[in-house]
Amino acid sequence: MLEELHAGFPLLSILLFLPLVGAAALWPMKDAALMKRCALGVACLELALSVVLALWFVPGSAAMQFSEQLSWIPALGISYHLAVDGISILFVPLSAFITVLVVVSSWNIGEGVKPYMMSLLALETTIMGIFVSIDLILFFVFWELMLVPGYFLIKLWGVGERRDDAALKYVLYTLLGSVFMLVGFALLSLHHHDVTQAYSFDLLELMAVPVPVGDQLLIFWLIFMGLAFKAPVFPFHSWLPDALVQGPIGMSVILAGVKLGTYGFLRLSFPLLPDASTHDAVVMIMTGLALAAILWGALVALMQSDFRRLLVFSSISHLGFVVLGLFAMNFQGLQGGLLHMINLGVTAAGLFFLAGFLHDRLGHTLVEQCGGLAAKAPALATFLLIIGMASIGLPGTNGFVGEFLILLGAFQAHWFYGVVGVSGVIFAAAYFLWYYERAMFGPLGGTVPRMLQDLHWRESGIAVALCVVIFWIGLYPSPLLRMMNASVQEVADRLSRGTVARMAHDRMALSDAADRAPAGRGD
Amino acid sequence: MTFNLTLSGADLLLLAPEIFLTVWLCVVLAVDCARQQIKHETLAYLSMGGVVAALIMLIGFDYADVHGALLNDTFVLDGVAIFFKIFILLATALVLLISIEYVRSFRFFRGEYYFLVVMSALGMMFMASAQDLLSVFVTLEFSTFGFYVLVAYLREDRKSNEAGLKFFILGVFAAGLLAYGISLVYGETGTLVFSEMTGMPGSYGLAIGFIMIFAALGFKLGAVPFHSWIPDTYQGAPTPVTAFLSIAPKGAAMAILIRMFYVALATFKPMWVLLFVVASIVSMTYGNIVAIAQKNIKRLLAYSGIAQIGNVMIGLAAGTKRGTDAILFYLLTYLFANLGAFAVVVGVSRRIHSDEIEDYNGLNRRSPFLAAAMLLFLLSLAGVPPLAGFIGKLYIFVAAIQQELYTLLIVGLVNIVISMYYYLIVVKKMYINEPADPTPLTVSTPLKTAIVISIAGTLLLGLYPGPFINWAVDAGLMFSNAATMAGDVSVPIAPAGG
Repeated sequence: MLEELHAGFPLLSILLFLPLVGAAALWPMKDAALMKRCALGVACLELALSVVLALWFVPGSAAMQFSEQLSWIPALGISYHLAVDGISILFVPLSAFITVLVVVSSWNIGEGVKPYMMSLLALETTIMGIFVSIDLILFFVFWELMLVPGYFLIKLWGVGERRDDAALKYVLYTLLGSVFMLVGFALLSLHHHDVTQAYSFDLLELMAVPVPVGDQLLIFWLIFMGLAFKAPVFPFHSWLPDALVQGPIGMSVILAGVKLGTYGFLRLSFPLLPDASTHDAVVMIMTGLALAAILWGALVALMQSDFRRLLVFSSISHLGFVVLGLFAMNFQGLQGGLLHMINLGVTAAGLFFLAGFLHDRLGHTLVEQCGGLAAKAPALATFLLIIGMASIGLPGTNGFVGEFLILLGAFQAHWFYGVVGVSGVIFAAAYFLWYYERAMFGPLGGTVPRMLQDLHWRESGIAVALCVVIFWIGLYPSPLLRMMNASVQEVADRLSRGTVARMAHDRMALSDAADRAPAGRGD
Repeated sequence: MTFNLTLSGADLLLLAPEIFLTVWLCVVLAVDCARQQIKHETLAYLSMGGVVAALIMLIGFDYADVHGALLNDTFVLDGVAIFFKIFILLATALVLLISIEYVRSFRFFRGEYYFLVVMSALGMMFMASAQDLLSVFVTLEFSTFGFYVLVAYLREDRKSNEAGLKFFILGVFAAGLLAYGISLVYGETGTLVFSEMTGMPGSYGLAIGFIMIFAALGFKLGAVPFHSWIPDTYQGAPTPVTAFLSIAPKGAAMAILIRMFYVALATFKPMWVLLFVVASIVSMTYGNIVAIAQKNIKRLLAYSGIAQIGNVMIGLAAGTKRGTDAILFYLLTYLFANLGAFAVVVGVSRRIHSDEIEDYNGLNRRSPFLAAAMLLFLLSLAGVPPLAGFIGKLYIFVAAIQQELYTLLIVGLVNIVISMYYYLIVVKKMYINEPADPTPLTVSTPLKTAIVISIAGTLLLGLYPGPFINWAVDAGLMFSNAATMAGDVSVPIAPAGG
């Protein structure tokens, strides 16, 4: 079992519930301006606390840090267990950062400020919950609970005509996947009970009990259902275009920026089910899906005339990269996949922000009706280029580091994976630059108003903040890598060591069977 | 078989809550007759006083572990009985609270309304204690009797009359089935007491007899295919009565079902497990799919109730101690969410005189409290964490997984997704659509109290379920041998690895 470092005081609980308390505090308020300021204050405080958390985090250790544990439902071995390690630590400040930007960008939301800000803060709590939960049921609670504010955000503040369908689809699809995931969790717990006579949903306790390979495969696919719908992994993505295009920009930013599904692979599938995760068939299927997602997403993105739809498919393509890195099953791949998740939180979110700014100005993001925007709004065009280049993976930006590590990992796994992956990068450059050229240069588009306002100070602030992070990770990624390395190494070791545990287990089973030939494995 | 009907004082203690409530009922009735001018609220609070007193008595029994059997073992007070009695009285108290405002709309207020509610509750308390077929019959009819009157209580309303008639005819039919089934079982086994039937050899007569009894109890539960009375009756009956009907008789009938199948039919477990797997699948799927098309909120809740009973039966299909634990806990979560939802329906319909889902448009604008409460209850019914319904569903699915009932499990999981769809439709109407008439709705204090209690229950059972799960586990201790019953060995979760 992994070592645990307990926190002196419940920093994670504070991080977890601060936004929720903030949301509750908005309830009695009457003044919209006050509400916005309070929401921003809470979001900034959350960001500050999460930065403190990251600074206090001991890098170079694979231990679970800031651990807090309280018994919740002892009859089923469910506890309120929070902790962060190198895998989850970076997501906490990232989510807080994105939320702050979303609050700022939603300043002129118009009607319904109170429910919007409350939903947004509630959403932040659930996302934090997903990243800091160590107990699987607690994880699941936040995983599901996220759908409620998400539903309202898409439905009430969506910009598209079909936002009703989009919201419903988002909830039902994700729910469909996650119920299977819950079965997977229950099977793990029951297996734990068979071995130790005690139920447990605690990640660390479950990791200590090896699961037979056959069971691992079943559980892997059950959990995969939940993760694949949420991520979404190609071909489980059909809710994503609707949710991201019909929903409000804030929700699109969060859904595209916070990679919960792929985080789940690193957090749950790999440590709990190392044998299934490294199983040949599983790796083949997952890598196949990843490559298909990279190519298909990029090709479909190439054909889009709506910038937001383009971004949706680009985000599916990028998610393919993450999965490719993770299932390369070596240190570089895992590290690259994890870093790329963080990067997407900056670049994909950034591009969606800019798409939102465009939408605010033009009322659409269709390329045929744009053109020559660079002349009218130079700041917007500049930031779009910078963030877009980061998304393609230009050296010097954050995207390069992540994609480079992923491709390194993929080439180590098999040259073919690497080759297909590289072609994805080329496609990414093609669809982005082509769109950029058509929208930003050339003659002025048909619907572009004569007096187009460039980014105002709030919007520029958001873009600058994103660019700072982009170049920081791009030029000096080592502090981040140092924070994640020990935990990633631990996962990589576990993935390769898993086979040893399996062999030991098989040996035991064999001698067991020899001892009492007629009896099955009882308890 | 000899009957010994002498009772000692200690024996009477076991019956104390029932005796107390009977006396109290007479007092309520007498007060109503003697003082014509009495306000109906006074009567309501008087009835509620009795119910709460009995509730406290039973909670005391639970703490003091007062157990025993009397009247020749026809009346038993054990953990399960106490659990279900508390369950029924809790539901009754909430229903009385919900009723207070609703009863005002009766053109001629008749004091027997409260009397009848508590009388039905009394009947169901006896049901929870029945452990032989004769007392099953008597107590079941006793409890249904009050409902026959209550369902048709809105004399001027044709829908209520229709509901009453349907309920009566099908109820009597079920009673006939029950009596016939009992006679067959008695003919085959020569006994009426569950514990004496354990280990009896199987025969067609016994099978048919028990299937008939199951059908009669299925009628109470509202499980498919015995559900046909439910939508019309729920729609036509006065809403507090619907609320009562939707929860209390289900609990009481479940108590009898558990006793009957876990004790009398323990040796036939592989057969009845199949029965419950099928009944559960059919109820869940039918209830959820038909609920999608409903335009009336009471009908929607009626079908959702059919589906929920399907969920509860997953526990019976598991057929283990964990199964009963899950059932008891699940029913508790269902109690609060379901009664809460009906309380909101009462609150809305009293103001706008409609139960159409269309008329819930923009409820959030008109009463944020009612809309938020309804949202919470619907999410709990759908099983969204961390509300009560989630823990209930989790527990019941764990019981099913343990028994490797994968088909049932997958059907159950898909049904959760389907149910989410129609619950969300209501949520959408409440929060997204514009109200036709934006005047704010007010909620009376008793109703608000009932809703707040339900909210508290839904949150508490979700966030801090430990003590309640322990209670359910302790209540069902008598079934702990269930795990070692025929056809049930603990096996690894999948064939591989061994």
